[in-house]
Amino acid sequence: MKFHISRQMIYILALAVVCLIVVFVFAFTVLIPSGKEYRLARMEAKKVSYQVDIIQAEYDNVYEKLKALQADNRHIIGAYKTIFNPDRFRKMYEKHFESFTLSELARHSKDGEFTVYEVNTSSLIQSPQGFYDFLDAVNKSDNITGINFPIHFERDANLIKSSFTMHVYIAGQKSKTDETKVE
Amino acid sequence: MRYSFIKPREKRLISAEFQLLFFFFSITVGMLFASYSYLKIKTIMYESNVETLLAKEETLRQNIVDMHGKIAFIEIEKQHSEGIYTANTVLKESIHNLFDLVPEKITLSQALLKEDELVLYGVTPSKEVYEYLLLAPLRSIFHRSYTSYYAMPNGWYSFVSKNYLDRELAVQ
Repeated sequence: MKFHISRQMIYILALAVVCLIVVFVFAFTVLIPSGKEYRLARMEAKKVSYQVDIIQAEYDNVYEKLKALQADNRHIIGAYKTIFNPDRFRKMYEKHFESFTLSELARHSKDGEFTVYEVNTSSLIQSPQGFYDFLDAVNKSDNITGINFPIHFERDANLIKSSFTMHVYIAGQKSKTDETKVE
Repeated sequence: MRYSFIKPREKRLISAEFQLLFFFFSITVGMLFASYSYLKIKTIMYESNVETLLAKEETLRQNIVDMHGKIAFIEIEKQHSEGIYTANTVLKESIHNLFDLVPEKITLSQALLKEDELVLYGVTPSKEVYEYLLLAPLRSIFHRSYTSYYAMPNGWYSFVSKNYLDRELAVQ
């Protein structure tokens, strides 16, 4: 039996083989590498996303802690930033004294992160109770104020003359040297 | 004049078999390109996503460091202010105790309080009253006490009492 293949059939077969080769070449040289690239990119994205989730959780945790700390210590944080106003201070605390005068505020020293300003005071009190009340009240003042030695008491007729120094602490002076001016 | 009984087949440039072959290969190639395009687009999207996530991660890390700094500073402020408030309270108690220490018979005219030193000026009816009622408690508080008396015309004594705390002994 003689098997006859026409010329057209040969052309079709040749074209089919060529197309098949093109498909295989395309698949192996382009499609499979891009598939690998895709898989790697997807894995990398998942990995990074997981890392970001962990860091986001840590961020939320630290943020909550910071907010709670800020809320609990609002007075202290504000007090360290508040500019000392001698007039306001005198008005607030003169009720504890018969007379109460403050010297000008002068930069004194550095205490760690804080700049210390010194102010000298002289006052007249009727009894030591006025001074005790002042010491209680100064802990609630707008500034962080420490009463310092030397403290001098002297009898003056029926009153007690007292003089002492106060240290006012202001934070953040490293970066705010020019910004925070003491009135 | 007709030479055949059948109608002659129309001659085409591309035969039906060729067309069929082209059709299937076109679909195959189209699908391959579609897959390739899909993979490429998704890869670019993932890469872009990774870049965004990495930038976010960096920002979050920086914010965490900043917040830790703020927390540390608030802790320092809290500790520092508590120290000052405590010192003010201790000072109040010390002055309170000092004035409570002075008996009614003795009148103070001046008191100078320093960190490690207390100087008292006053008037006492007799040296014994001063020694029993004021010097004894002062000695129990201070490491060194020195007193000078000055006789007054009315028989009383004015005194100057200097009392010192030795820091080294106080530490022990």
